[in-house]
Amino acid sequence: MARAARSGSRADTALVSTCALLALLATVLPLPIRDAIASSLRRTVVAPLLALQQRAERARTAFGGHDVLAARLDSLALRNAQLGDLADENVRLRGLLSLGRQLQWGFLPAEALHGRGMGDEHVLVLTRGSEAGVTPRSAVVAPAGLIGQVTTVDPRSSLAILWTHPDFRASAMASDGTAFGIVRPHLGEEPERSLLELRGVAFRDALTPGTLILTSGLGGVYPRGIPIGVVMGEVTTSEVWSRTYLVRPAVYPPDVNNVMILSPERVSSGAMDEVWSSVARADSAARGVAASADSLARLAAMAAAHRARQMDSLRAVLGLPDPADSLRADSVASTGGSAPTATQRRDSTRRVP
Amino acid sequence: MTPQRVLRAALIFVALVAMHYFVRPLMGWRVSMDFLVIAMLLVAVRVRPGVAAVVGFVLGLIGDSLAPESFGAGALAMCLVGFSASWLKAVFFSDNVFLHAIFFFAGKWAFDVIFVVAARRGGMYEMATQVVLWSPLAAALTAVTGVIVLLLFRGMLEAPST
Repeated sequence: MARAARSGSRADTALVSTCALLALLATVLPLPIRDAIASSLRRTVVAPLLALQQRAERARTAFGGHDVLAARLDSLALRNAQLGDLADENVRLRGLLSLGRQLQWGFLPAEALHGRGMGDEHVLVLTRGSEAGVTPRSAVVAPAGLIGQVTTVDPRSSLAILWTHPDFRASAMASDGTAFGIVRPHLGEEPERSLLELRGVAFRDALTPGTLILTSGLGGVYPRGIPIGVVMGEVTTSEVWSRTYLVRPAVYPPDVNNVMILSPERVSSGAMDEVWSSVARADSAARGVAASADSLARLAAMAAAHRARQMDSLRAVLGLPDPADSLRADSVASTGGSAPTATQRRDSTRRVP
Repeated sequence: MTPQRVLRAALIFVALVAMHYFVRPLMGWRVSMDFLVIAMLLVAVRVRPGVAAVVGFVLGLIGDSLAPESFGAGALAMCLVGFSASWLKAVFFSDNVFLHAIFFFAGKWAFDVIFVVAARRGGMYEMATQVVLWSPLAAALTAVTGVIVLLLFRGMLEAPST
């Protein structure tokens, strides 16, 4: 019994001595030999463990980057949602710039603040006042046409009534100058409340739907040639010797955020028929240029995708490797066991005690 | 031990080795638990000292294969710790959780000390910082983890008869 225990103890001592000696020998081996042994171990016994470690590293990286990615995705979604508004605003500002170029002088750009309370839904607050040269009864216009008229002027702001205001009136005419009348808001029920009426048109002057209505320049408040709207149809009234037409307005007030206030000098200087027709032409030209640029970009993207597909097909036929894949760390790692020291982080390959 | 218990212990051993290469990188802590030391200590108390030394040597080589610069240091440290643990099993493997924790703590710290000395990485200051500061922290974490493993697999890892 004692002999067996002694022989077992000797065997244990021999084993631990051998292992310790081998380990010590390993520590003093030349680096290439140590590398070779370590490499052979990594390729065989340790390979599954190494793969496990790589997956864990990737999982940690993905987990750490999740919040950043989510934030980026949210930002992109928000930006994408705002793109429509930006495009609309771009169109409005482009129109305003174009109008300013055509008017050349005698106007003041202003921001239009919409009333939110009861009773001020037909009034605009403009961010320019008497200090900037705004006077009462000045015409307020937008690139699409007439909006209203300044009624009250403060030093730094002013109030303007919209064409929806019950007191709004404007002398108007058909675009060909054949018929004249007075434009006022249509005071009907809610869907029709956003329309205008052209009243007092002589019975002999029949207008067809689609006829453009402009300011006539009579009365001295609005210069001739500002678009008001388009005739929708005739309305039956009690007046026998004149006709009344429903007019679809050129400008819907809720869509307006920036306006031009025309000075009295500019109004008295003459007609503005050419101004709005030029604005319309410039606007359509700008839209055309933008659309062409979009088409070109789309075509370039399609051509690039087509080229990439052709290259992929060619590579598949010739059996060539994908250059993007050949540079990936996975491929590098999978091509040989000795690669990890070059492709992995130092602290991930070294066993930290 | 019955063959079934040997098989269960072997499964836990393999799982601990796998966890060493999965859980530690997943956490990415500066101080982390050493599942290889836990696995080796759990084996060491169940086998003869010579066998424990061989198991420690093999485990150490596996660990060293990822760090060729200090190749052999881990094998030496694990071999000596395994052998010592196997000698001391009668003392430590009583049914006391606190003693288990000390056993894991001492095993890990001893491993680190031998490893640092054998690998001779860095200057004296770095080695001292490693041994005095980081190693005790890692040993404490390893002790906690080892005790949790023991409590979780108490049925499968019954104390060996001495």
